[in-house]
Amino acid sequence: MEIVNLAVLPEVTSAGVAIKAIIILAIISAVAGFGTFIERKVLAFMQRRLGPMHVGPYGLLQIAADGIKLFTKEDIVPQNANKLIFKIAPSITAATAFIALAAVPVFPDFTIPEWIPLLGGVFVPSIAADVNVGILFILGMMAAGLYGPLLAGMAQANKWGIIGSARTAVQFLSYEVVTGLSMLAPIMLVGSLSLVDFNNYQDGGFTSWMIWQQPVAFVLFLIAGFAETNRTPFDLLEHEAEIISGFATEYSGMRWGMFFIGEYANMITISVILAVVFMGGYNDLGFMAGWFIVVFKIAFFFFLMLWVRASWPHIRPDQLMWLSWKILMPVAVVNIVITGIVMMI
Amino acid sequence: MSLEQFKNRNVGEQPYVLIESEHRPKSGMGRFQRVVNRTFKKELFTGLYVTMREMINTLFRGEMAAVKYPFEKLPISPRYRAIHDMLRLLESGHYRCIGCGLCEKICISNCIKMDTRYDENQRKEVTEYTINFGRCIFCGYCAEVCPELAIVHGGRYENASEQRASFSLFEDMLTPIDALKQQQEFDGFGAVTPNADNAIKKTPLAY
Amino acid sequence: MYEQIAFYLFSVLTIGLFLVTVLSKNLLYSMTALAAGMVMISGFFFLLGADFLGVVQLIVYVGAVMALYAFAMMFFDATRDVKEKNPNGAWIFLLGGMVALMMVLIFSAPIFSENIQAIYPSIAGATNPQSVGLVLFTKYLVPFEVAAVMLLVAMISGIILAGKKMDQSLTTEDDVLNTEIITEEDDK
Repeated sequence: MEIVNLAVLPEVTSAGVAIKAIIILAIISAVAGFGTFIERKVLAFMQRRLGPMHVGPYGLLQIAADGIKLFTKEDIVPQNANKLIFKIAPSITAATAFIALAAVPVFPDFTIPEWIPLLGGVFVPSIAADVNVGILFILGMMAAGLYGPLLAGMAQANKWGIIGSARTAVQFLSYEVVTGLSMLAPIMLVGSLSLVDFNNYQDGGFTSWMIWQQPVAFVLFLIAGFAETNRTPFDLLEHEAEIISGFATEYSGMRWGMFFIGEYANMITISVILAVVFMGGYNDLGFMAGWFIVVFKIAFFFFLMLWVRASWPHIRPDQLMWLSWKILMPVAVVNIVITGIVMMI
Repeated sequence: MSLEQFKNRNVGEQPYVLIESEHRPKSGMGRFQRVVNRTFKKELFTGLYVTMREMINTLFRGEMAAVKYPFEKLPISPRYRAIHDMLRLLESGHYRCIGCGLCEKICISNCIKMDTRYDENQRKEVTEYTINFGRCIFCGYCAEVCPELAIVHGGRYENASEQRASFSLFEDMLTPIDALKQQQEFDGFGAVTPNADNAIKKTPLAY
Repeated sequence: MYEQIAFYLFSVLTIGLFLVTVLSKNLLYSMTALAAGMVMISGFFFLLGADFLGVVQLIVYVGAVMALYAFAMMFFDATRDVKEKNPNGAWIFLLGGMVALMMVLIFSAPIFSENIQAIYPSIAGATNPQSVGLVLFTKYLVPFEVAAVMLLVAMISGIILAGKKMDQSLTTEDDVLNTEIITEEDDK
């Protein structure tokens, strides 16, 4: 593993961190909104439809139209609901999703050019908050994110909501085990919990990618990531055919929209983790620059989630639990044991 | 599809496949093996392949199924019975209706009302002609009975209206005189659709 | 200075949230406040530079333990207030007095803190998870392993208690089997 010489790097100022935080908030929330458009388009193409077409060229301004609709819609709070909890639950989902992104390195470090007034020369780090335990921090924040759907379902005095929140607790708890255990094997190889170290571990080109050393962990984390982000084969929390909309049944307007933004931000987080931990991160690949190729990788995983949603049916809750506890968790444990034995030899 | 192919109704030569129901595993090990088979027998990946194929076909090979409806419309069958049209004689431009009153007689929902008189040439002239589209059931008898092919069914199928009874006057249905050249002759009932050849599916009658 | 501001902010928030937990009669408020308080406590760990422990606090207490409480709450009507029973005044007096005594001791603790030395001083150069691991697998190996065995016992007993019908599947092809069970139960 290459040891990064800390003295070479410029000092990380609070201005740089603030700029990075603003970049994350601005870009990710915009991309999360754009993700809804992409999702509708991709699903439409896979079903031989056109998708949104009328607002703006090729429906590109549909996000703005949706946003205006969500903001101006009446915000309904049911009479018997626990009003305070009902109101703060959506912001938990959105907030935890964005806090998790604080520890994710998306782009390489860069220094703002000197010719830009006021901010010229400020060094912007690759991570807003470079905690040493980045990967655990992300998993922990995503674990805390389960309170959004959970409290939303329990506060709204609605049986569909209760079922949705029960499924939230069961699904997120079970798959947290799988995400943690599957991530453990790459952590053992790298010997660090920082995502920057993961990135630097794979700077030897295409063959040094973690996916070639840990294919099982990659598949396990991919499956568990779908469950953690509540995407289609496992989106039992708001399974329309069974429980209307699950935890989001009574929500309308912008509160519902915050659940949506949180879900898309979580999708981006999982895509970034997959890209950084398993697919070589933002290292340069051949002639392609690192920042370009990492966007491409993230976009691929985002597309994969939409692709799978178009292709595969839901599974039942009991099948979900069966898959988690009887298949994925034992496989993850065996993977860790084998990794440990190989490392000792 | 050629005619010979269509006439061949011998099931044995056709690519029908009998699907046998899956063997059900009894033991836990059997179930585990089934999971492994389902996972690695490319079933999941076949699903992914199908959606990706559709996406590529849609985007690059022009197999988009969606029609931007209010802006573009699919051609409808000549047999389709939509809002009526009144046709004109192609030579003189005079309307074809001779005021015989057969359509009014045969109309089973009593929605056609007409009034006629003799004009100065002792020829029947239609003075009043209305169809109540709140009552019309689009059975097509009027067009079938018309001896002059004057009243036919046209292609206007968007007949939502603000009132329950929306009357249509003779002048509304009559072909505009400047659009006489575009007037389509009515093929009559039993006419085949333009894409009839493509729409035909072989059904195995020999079962 | 930032650290002091953050410390007092987290302290006030933690105490306030735990007060809500104890004093609120609504289950949902109590649970939410407890979970939020756990998040605030992890903030103290981050302030002290113990990133690993802070994250573990997040994952274990916020992610797992509190979610189990929440799961137990599914059996109650979360929108209704709980009626509390206060049977014995003497107990409340005793417990309150003990808490007061504890508070006095805690606030007077800094007087003696100068004499306290760490028995296991942190190793220079070791990162956060490494030092935790070193202490856990050397000095505290026996308690750690005992705790692990206890958790294993709890897990196995939980599976045994809950898993009486575990080998039966709910899938369609076993419908025949399930209907047989139902009819048997009906006969009883």
